[in-house]
Amino acid sequence: MDIYIAIIVTLVGAASPILIAALGELVVEKAGVLNLGVEGMMLVGAIAGFAGQYYTGNPYFALLCGAFAGAATSLIFGFLTLSLSANQTATGLALTIFGTGFSALAGAPFSARPIELMRPLFPLELATHPILRVIFGYAAPVYFSFIMVFAVWYFLKKTRAGLILRAVGENDLSAHSIGYSVIGVRYAAVLFGGAMAGIAGACFPLLLTPQWAERMTAGRGWIAVALVVFASWRPFRLLAGAYLFGLVMTMELYAKAGGGPLSVIPSELWAALPYLATIVVLVLISIRRDASSNAPACLGRPFLPSN
Amino acid sequence: MLFRLEKRQEPSRFMLYATPVASVLLTMVVGAIIFSLIGYDGIGAVREIFFTPLTNAYKWQDLGVKAAPLVIIGVGLSIAYRANVWNIGAEGQYIMGGLAGTWVALATYGMTGPWILPLMILAGVVGGALYAAIPALLKTRLNVNEILTSLMLTYASVQLIYYLIRAPWKDPMGMGFPQTRLFSEAARLPTVIPGTIVHLGVPIAVLVALAAWFIMSRSVFGYQMKVVGAAPHAARYGGFSENKTIWLALLVSGALAGLAGVLEVAGPFQRMVPGFPTNYGFTAIIVAFLGRLNPLGVLFAGIVMAITFVGGEVAQTTIGLPNAATGIFQAMVLFFLLAGDILVRYRIRRVVANPAAGAA
Amino acid sequence: MTLSRRSFVKISGAAAAVLPFLGTKAFAQGEKLKVGFIYVGTINDNGYNYAHNQGRLYLEEQLGDAVETTYVENVPEGPDCERVLRELAQQGNKLIFATSFGFGDSVIKVAQQFPEVKFEHATGYMKADNVGLYNARFYEGRAVCGTIAGHLSQTGKAGYIGSFPIPEVVMGINSFVLAARKVNPDFTIKPVYISTWNDPAKEADAARAMIDQGIDVIAQHTDGPAALQVAQERGIVGGFGQGADMSAFAPETQLTSIIDHWGPHYAASAQAVIDGTWTAGDTWEGLKDDVVQIGPYGPKVTDEVKAAAEAVRTGQIDGSFMIFTGPIKDNTGAERVPAGVSMTDAELLSMDWYVEGVEQPA
Repeated sequence: MDIYIAIIVTLVGAASPILIAALGELVVEKAGVLNLGVEGMMLVGAIAGFAGQYYTGNPYFALLCGAFAGAATSLIFGFLTLSLSANQTATGLALTIFGTGFSALAGAPFSARPIELMRPLFPLELATHPILRVIFGYAAPVYFSFIMVFAVWYFLKKTRAGLILRAVGENDLSAHSIGYSVIGVRYAAVLFGGAMAGIAGACFPLLLTPQWAERMTAGRGWIAVALVVFASWRPFRLLAGAYLFGLVMTMELYAKAGGGPLSVIPSELWAALPYLATIVVLVLISIRRDASSNAPACLGRPFLPSN
Repeated sequence: MLFRLEKRQEPSRFMLYATPVASVLLTMVVGAIIFSLIGYDGIGAVREIFFTPLTNAYKWQDLGVKAAPLVIIGVGLSIAYRANVWNIGAEGQYIMGGLAGTWVALATYGMTGPWILPLMILAGVVGGALYAAIPALLKTRLNVNEILTSLMLTYASVQLIYYLIRAPWKDPMGMGFPQTRLFSEAARLPTVIPGTIVHLGVPIAVLVALAAWFIMSRSVFGYQMKVVGAAPHAARYGGFSENKTIWLALLVSGALAGLAGVLEVAGPFQRMVPGFPTNYGFTAIIVAFLGRLNPLGVLFAGIVMAITFVGGEVAQTTIGLPNAATGIFQAMVLFFLLAGDILVRYRIRRVVANPAAGAA
Repeated sequence: MTLSRRSFVKISGAAAAVLPFLGTKAFAQGEKLKVGFIYVGTINDNGYNYAHNQGRLYLEEQLGDAVETTYVENVPEGPDCERVLRELAQQGNKLIFATSFGFGDSVIKVAQQFPEVKFEHATGYMKADNVGLYNARFYEGRAVCGTIAGHLSQTGKAGYIGSFPIPEVVMGINSFVLAARKVNPDFTIKPVYISTWNDPAKEADAARAMIDQGIDVIAQHTDGPAALQVAQERGIVGGFGQGADMSAFAPETQLTSIIDHWGPHYAASAQAVIDGTWTAGDTWEGLKDDVVQIGPYGPKVTDEVKAAAEAVRTGQIDGSFMIFTGPIKDNTGAERVPAGVSMTDAELLSMDWYVEGVEQPA
């Protein structure tokens, strides 16, 4: 029993940052924009979050720093792809290169400096209770990720603003002709995606390993991008996807550490498994034919009203 | 001041060629200012990164060797991107090409004969193409997004290297280190200029770029790829199959990435090591865009990119610029280039006291 | 070594003039000795590369104006490394330290092109007239750590996070568990390989997975303090710093650390080049030579345990204690080293089996 609770606690820690970043990207893509720079924005958020915690010791302020830095980074992407209608794929990749380099440069003075981990949100008696910690044992960003799953779903499905955002992603020209600002909506979505990626990045030093290390997100931004498609642009499926992914990553370590039948699988196969699983799920979803129907029709296409 | 963008009748050829040059120049200026402001020798950084590799003849061989795989992969990607097929898993196809070549090299270990190297190269090309066939199959049959499948397969291929060199392919004399044995003489790429490190892959890269340019601008195939990319609906009326184009785009870009992989393992590496994946496949995406998705442009873009890599190291050794700065310079070049793209399709007009007369 | 020279023209002084591409700056007398370093990662990794860079700074401090050092970080293993090495050689560095195993092929190639430049390759095995090898007996430090673990662990189980199962890592695990079992014969260790050198979040999760399954001491062979921080967070018995003193990251939990102290070796090599006495050596130094150091003991290490650890440390310094001395059984129960026999360096450097007490990893 204890071990299952322990696995869940670790799994939640691994899945939450990916979920947060992916939720941001989901909104961006719903608005018809493909931002492949999540990994870069996460790294900028990670160093900003680290610095915020290092200087103030206030993890909420640190998360805000991460959100702000991520949003600021996404603004580069927004300006190039929305105002100047540059190619989104290339701009996203460039953003990742930029974020990697920028965070390494900004982070150099912070090496060999530890920070405080963010404490659990609930009182210690609950947070460290052998059983109840499975519910109460996490810091605020974990609960934030759950709230945001619901919030994003609600926003997209139930609000007028969400409807407009989806309209912009589905058919930018008609949204434009009814009088909505396609570019304005997309800017807002891109900034939201950047802020979420920044928070996700800040989770690495605040929740997982309280230090700064170059490239410390180690490719998880790409996983977040993949998860959005994996989830066929649905927030609750994204939740399931992030936890499935987290489960594969966590089970690898628990199986190796604990022995048992799963521990005979070679390390390399474990490491490749999340990626192979993504492909398999993409295929399964596509066979059911609901992925393409749910994909924003304008995804990745620049908005050129004069065309 | 108000400016308005006005669509050009047709893309400006001048801007098409001027913007890449301008973006490199702008990067130099802005980079020098930014790095000076944050306390580095900004002007020195620009000099060492962009000029030293060109002015120092000794560095030319490095540029050639570094640019070759970028050009070969970038040419393939530019063909795919022209057709609107977003293969971003060239790194994985490069790896599979390298692994396929390694397989031949190990299977023929100790043998001699002029057939070994061509066989390796063939294996590499086939390996890369087959790996790209997976996203092609999934895209054409099930409409699965090729961006994601090709990317996911890249991560899987890296693990395949680790597995192969740790277990079945491990060098028996390698003191237990995870790497294959050094290829035998017949499985190594010869150098083409004596006394330098310039290997056969360098002229191959130039040939690939020239051949691709010729095919893309002169053949039905090239025309088909461009039409499908630019106007899929029109292409369908013209009798071009979209699926066939997707297959061709992925197979060609995968095959070229595989070619780069096998040339790299048979040339500079001469054995498979854990450090074989060096992000050439991702950097080549930038090269393809910097080269305007034109094979000849890619040739130049590959050299520019190689300059920044080689120069970045020079700057580390001479003025102590951190490694991370190279990435920032590369990102800046690309940002400026992408920003400049708009000038190719639009001209900027000053708006004279005529409040927003509808959408441009 | 069967490295071909076909593709790499061997350059003599006369040939260099014919082939300007490979020419180098002339070495004038009385100049400062320029020393180059290449690192596989960033100098800010708080671990392996950080330690090498500390060694470079030590060299500068010791030899002062006589030397001038340069380093290049994040150098990929492969052709990029070859280029950086040639760059350094061409810029007049007369002594170049290549600090990662994977640089080996490149060092050999470039050394043939620059016969007058001295190269030293860390943790490798390919020598040449102007290529020396150097390594540190980290396993000696591991034996000290294992002794402490054997004393302090309550569950008798330790975890060990490795990147890849290379001999260096296998040797460290074996040394650790051999030492621990001298104290507690039931001591076991579980290695977990995470297939990456640099993913601190995965390291941390690996540490969590092991702690959740009953280990109370943790050691790692990856760069950085991630595992140690988890040990601190979870309040287990302890962990060990790797490469550098990491007590800043885990003040209560770091029991001690193995410090890579490359400085003296770097200073000695540079001095030898200045004096003209450098030869291509093959050094494998340890505690005795101060290349491996044991950091300060943490607050949990009692005086009694400290004494036991010190005994192992000093025993290895004066040569009275060698951890890889038989009888040693492997983890299938077969005897690998007979009683009284010590393993040779060659055997150690190619070690690919685990001793008794190590749970076989996949």
